[in-house]
Amino acid sequence: MIMLSVHNLFQNKIRLSISIGGVALALSLIFSLNAIFAGVEERITAYINNSGADIFIAQSGVQNMHMASSSMPETVEDEVKTIPGVEFVTPINYVPNMVVVGDERNLAYIIGLPPDAKLGGPWKIFKGSRHPKSGEAIIDRFVAEKTGISIGDEVEIFGRQFVVAGLSEETASLVNSFAFISRSDFSTVRGGANTINFLLVKARPEENPEKLAKTIESQLGNVTARTTAAFSSLEQKVVKDMSTDVINLMNLIGFLIGLAVTALTIYTATLSRRSEYGVMKALGARNSYLYSTVITQALISVAIGFVVGAIFTWLVSIIIQGLGLNLTMNITALSLIKVGSLALLIGCISAVLPIRQISKLDPAMIFRGR
Amino acid sequence: MLLAYRNLSQDKTRLAISVIGIALALMLILLLNGFLTGLNRQVTSYLSNSPGSLVVAQKGIRNMLGATSLLPQGVVADSLAIEGVEKVVPILSQFVILDLHDKKQPAYLIGYDPDSGGGPWQLAAGRKPQTDSEIVFDEVLAKRHNLQTTDIFKLMGESYTIVGLSKGTSSWMTSFIFVRKTAIEKLLRIPQTASFLLVVPNNGANLEELSARLDAITGINAVTKTEMAANDISLFSKVFSVPLRLMVAISFLIGTMVVGLVIYTATVERQKEYGVLKAIGASNGTLYRVVIFQALIAALVGSVAGVSFALGLAKLIMVIRPQFLIVLNLSDVAWTLVTGIIMALAAGFFPARVVARLAPATVFRK
Repeated sequence: MIMLSVHNLFQNKIRLSISIGGVALALSLIFSLNAIFAGVEERITAYINNSGADIFIAQSGVQNMHMASSSMPETVEDEVKTIPGVEFVTPINYVPNMVVVGDERNLAYIIGLPPDAKLGGPWKIFKGSRHPKSGEAIIDRFVAEKTGISIGDEVEIFGRQFVVAGLSEETASLVNSFAFISRSDFSTVRGGANTINFLLVKARPEENPEKLAKTIESQLGNVTARTTAAFSSLEQKVVKDMSTDVINLMNLIGFLIGLAVTALTIYTATLSRRSEYGVMKALGARNSYLYSTVITQALISVAIGFVVGAIFTWLVSIIIQGLGLNLTMNITALSLIKVGSLALLIGCISAVLPIRQISKLDPAMIFRGR
Repeated sequence: MLLAYRNLSQDKTRLAISVIGIALALMLILLLNGFLTGLNRQVTSYLSNSPGSLVVAQKGIRNMLGATSLLPQGVVADSLAIEGVEKVVPILSQFVILDLHDKKQPAYLIGYDPDSGGGPWQLAAGRKPQTDSEIVFDEVLAKRHNLQTTDIFKLMGESYTIVGLSKGTSSWMTSFIFVRKTAIEKLLRIPQTASFLLVVPNNGANLEELSARLDAITGINAVTKTEMAANDISLFSKVFSVPLRLMVAISFLIGTMVVGLVIYTATVERQKEYGVLKAIGASNGTLYRVVIFQALIAALVGSVAGVSFALGLAKLIMVIRPQFLIVLNLSDVAWTLVTGIIMALAAGFFPARVVARLAPATVFRK
């Protein structure tokens, strides 16, 4: 049966290539969208995951960093320091703003760091300093290369000139990047407000961060304290919750396109072998045997389409990276399972029409020469 | 041409499946474009409906939704003193993440002074906030999460009573919600500050000259609302353009392959007949035209079906998920039809090669 299915499918290689290409592209539609959002999730948490902190403290009711605002009095820093189990803390300021070079404006999350910050600074330095002093900024390497800036040049942040003292890596996404300045500069340009936006905490090695976060929340009362892992997962949830409807819709359309293409292929392949199926029926082959042959054909073509689609999406992700677009595409195991299940469903449903064709087939017609 | 039509319509099931395949691919292209157009309209809805023609922002900031602007103290008075300024409306705004029924929903919180303006432009229910513990919620967002006027809503540790539901302030990305300016000042711990000033010029004032005069104030820059809206659109386009182009390119390839598969199969099936036509003197040009015409018919029917599918599905999506706005422009529809024709021409290539290579003698040997 499998041999017959393979033979039927591979008999016309051009038709097979076109149909596998169609299925692969339809599945890659689903793959790509899932990979893009998985990539966004990864990038959006890059700062949190690489901050070096065990716990993030924010204003009460604030559980996110991106597209969120948190503001706490500076006294929170001293209060947290006194809690047993806290090794050290780093207060940071944070606000989305622009890194401006001439007419080129780059959206950036500006982080204000205290001198020699142990946490929350740039985690990978390409060139120059890791700790911005007053009047200095550390910007992303990609932004610097794009705008022709190097160490010692000036950029405008918050409408003020800063000398580029360092270039960081892995701090840019498709839309924005991170830039680091000193907290004192941050306070000056933001109107001298004595507030901190987030407090990053390093727990003592023997301390359980989850337990410590709970202690901090209960002792301070008016803050939100989350372990870095929990904070990061809440950040990913923003992307997930925003994209669920879009992803579901695109998955449905991709599924329908894949279904139409596979159905068309299997239908035409069955149609062209109609007389052979008639002969088999005349020789005593049961309908169930012929049905299985058609379903196997459908499953083989979607299986090949699935593999080609996954490889195609992977290649696209490499090409996009090569083009320097800063768009990360992550093909996750979950997305492989999801698309694989959809492909299986496509294969089974697309065999319905050809099966109907075979069931209506009259063995006698081959003797009539039809 | 009749031959092309008969070849194609000989197997109606195959034609129907192929038309659906093409239609779905084109529908996807149309929907993606409509989705982006809708999103652009939604993200600029505040700027389109708020007072003034110019926006004063912190120096270096020329968009509303991308960067956080904080104006230096005293800018309101300084701006009012500028010749050509009739009124300034200060607002304090900030992105916030709302936790609604265990779902994270970004929203753009606008703090405004009800006496000056800059708040919701149309209320579906209730009234504007009169105290610092009152909030106006977006109507669609409220409906999705079963929120009504008089409900208590917690934001960044503070409790607010929903007193009104605003219309036209919804978006998949950023619904707008409104509180009094003094309320957001307390919430963000930045008293007596503003993010932006919406500037209403005197009648007949030249916007360019007025903008230049405002720019002279230290620490700020003035941008026309049109430019600011364009900058916001450009920011969101940057986010979506690469994934969108990728999806459109894949959809185009799928559509082309579907047309190609149908025409190729139809041509191979009729190979013998094409050979006979060649043997009785039909030129390659005539046979190419038959093949291409078949591809054009399939693509055109698929394109028309794709446009109809897109119109129907867009309406359905907006009913089920009112936070999405899908705007299908006539130009997008025209482009989709052109895309269908390009698909047909590309797809006709392989089958045309089959016909071209056909030796008339083969029909007599079989």
